[in-house]
Amino acid sequence: MEFAIISTLNGVTYGLLLFMVSAGLTLIFGMMGVLNFAHASFYMLGAYVAYAVSSIFGFWTGILVAPIVVGLVGMAVERFLLPRVHAHGHAHELLLTFGLALIIEELIKLFFGDFPVNYQMPEALRFSAFEIFGTGYPFYRMFIGAVAVIMFTVLWLLLTRTRTGIVVRAAERLPQMAEALGHNIPIVFMFVFGTGAALAGLAGAVAGAFYPTNPNMGIELGVIVFVVVVVGGLGSLKGSLVASLLIGLFSSFAVGLDWSIAGMFDVVGLGDWARSVGGLLTLELSSVSATIPFALMLIVLLVRPAGLMGERN
Amino acid sequence: MTKFAFGAAMALGAGTLGAATSQAEPLKIGIIESLSGSQTSTGRLYARAVKYGVDRINAAGGFNGEPVQVTEYDNAGGASEAADKFRQAVADGVNIIIQGASSAIAGQLTEDVRKHNLRNPGKEMIFMNLGGEAMELTGDKCQFYHFRFTTTAPMRITALVNAMKKSDALGSKAYAINQNYSWGKDVQAAVEAAASEGGYEVVGEVLHDVNKIQDFAPFVARIKSAEPDTVFTGNWSNDLLLLMKATGDAGLDVTFATTFLDQPGNIANAGQTALGHYIANNYDNAATPTNEFPEAYKAATGAYPIFVEGHSTFALGQLQEALSTLDFKGGDINVTDIALALENSVYQSPLGPISVRKEDHQTIRPVVVSKVVKGAKYPADGTDMGFETVEVIPGEKAIYPVQDSCQMKRPNA
Repeated sequence: MEFAIISTLNGVTYGLLLFMVSAGLTLIFGMMGVLNFAHASFYMLGAYVAYAVSSIFGFWTGILVAPIVVGLVGMAVERFLLPRVHAHGHAHELLLTFGLALIIEELIKLFFGDFPVNYQMPEALRFSAFEIFGTGYPFYRMFIGAVAVIMFTVLWLLLTRTRTGIVVRAAERLPQMAEALGHNIPIVFMFVFGTGAALAGLAGAVAGAFYPTNPNMGIELGVIVFVVVVVGGLGSLKGSLVASLLIGLFSSFAVGLDWSIAGMFDVVGLGDWARSVGGLLTLELSSVSATIPFALMLIVLLVRPAGLMGERN
Repeated sequence: MTKFAFGAAMALGAGTLGAATSQAEPLKIGIIESLSGSQTSTGRLYARAVKYGVDRINAAGGFNGEPVQVTEYDNAGGASEAADKFRQAVADGVNIIIQGASSAIAGQLTEDVRKHNLRNPGKEMIFMNLGGEAMELTGDKCQFYHFRFTTTAPMRITALVNAMKKSDALGSKAYAINQNYSWGKDVQAAVEAAASEGGYEVVGEVLHDVNKIQDFAPFVARIKSAEPDTVFTGNWSNDLLLLMKATGDAGLDVTFATTFLDQPGNIANAGQTALGHYIANNYDNAATPTNEFPEAYKAATGAYPIFVEGHSTFALGQLQEALSTLDFKGGDINVTDIALALENSVYQSPLGPISVRKEDHQTIRPVVVSKVVKGAKYPADGTDMGFETVEVIPGEKAIYPVQDSCQMKRPNA
């Protein structure tokens, strides 16, 4: 029981963190069809901006300023870089953002050095939210989860319940018609991209204080964020949330389970033989826990290529 | 056209080279290191230390009547790129290859060097391995032209166990959490092997993916349920930092016995969580009896030697020692003679003598065990914390037996 409760708790908070980072990517892809490879770099940029600002003006100022700065950078990218390659199709947009990711990483190294920087949460937030089975549960994990939940709610309400949301969705479905009705589509797209980038920036600012802020953080989380978006169904906000939680829970539970193929053979009494063979048969689930998201992606792509809640096929 | 131009340039180059050799042939060192990509931070430090060491050789008159030349090659953190850069180094006439970050790359380079030496008798190369700690490099893959100037898992773990036991910090239950590749498995095996000597029971062990895990909370929950006193880990980079942070966040009261806690940024990022944890490594500034070496290094490079810089400098010092016994009188450089001289060299490092074991070319070297404390003599990462030396284990006590798998083929004398 203790194992199940703790694993669920850890899995849900980690899943929410993944959602926080992937929300912006989902938004940009869902509304604009641009697969933004630089998204994880925006996340890293957010952490570094928050670090730089917070060392002078305090933690909360950093959290506020980071999304704004990263959002502006995102808008600039959408305004000045993407239109140039837009005519050549998605592949070129992808390549452009890929190049951008490399450049952002090297720029970060240039300004902040190769080593992790000392970006910490304020001491006031460093306490246990509650005790569970004798272990303190860090408040900051709850904080990350709360930010992710708020992010989801606000985004979802914005897109489905407000006029702005209608315009944005119209711009995605029927750009010409929306334009004919007097909406400035390029501006709409610029703001969508800016918002997506700002969300990544916010995620970086919040998560960077919990995880180390280093020049590799983009690459490290970037891959898994793509998995989230693909599993959720490219562009579906709800799908991303479900996928994040699934991946969080799967990885969390896998760590505690010493399951191996040899263990399965025990059922039919061949366990000892399987253990003597070794190799793949004795590989424990916990030692490949980081691979589980990718296995999940593979299965989802095979069974439901559009993703869990995707519409495009 | 390009081919012709290239040929002409080669001819021209050969011409000028010919003119130069009438004086002397310089010794060429090539650093094939991770100077871009995710391991840049470590690669840079190796390169800086090697340059410092070469500068010292040159300040003392160079070798063979010429300054020693050093070239940096960027392997971008990958073995295939390293193989590419190795070929370039061969073309540049490099005599000694130096590399440190990553055992995988070291494995590639030692094979490349071995094959090159087989195919090009008389034009041998030496591989000075500064950081590849995988056991197989001095086991299955051991060869005459490879020299390892760092510790291995058994040396670090045995040192940790001895020193921690002496200061009553070890406890009776140990947990091993390591990365799922050669190094992590070596550490895990070493922790198991040292159990009876240290008087502890291994209550649990786990291997996990290398630098892919973002959330260590589930692993901490698993460690907690085993209730260990000490957690042994060979983790480095993010895997160590995230593990320690997650442990600190959960308020778990264990002592970490680590091997790479001195990687820059770790102490600052872990904060208070780092206090009281142990590390075994090749060198620490606080362990030197006099300030001479750290101060000299700072004067030359602008900072005290950190992480891998200390022992890398010693490796170059050992090379200098070996070179001082040779004299090619300005003529051709015989790399095999340099290798033989390296075998016999003893370098007096500030922590004690370092020598080469002839059977497998592992260096017999002192291991430093330190503990993270507040108000240390050499503060780390701009914090008020740093390492305090617990014990310096002399080389002959730290060394482990030669692996049976090492079948070294020596050059025909």
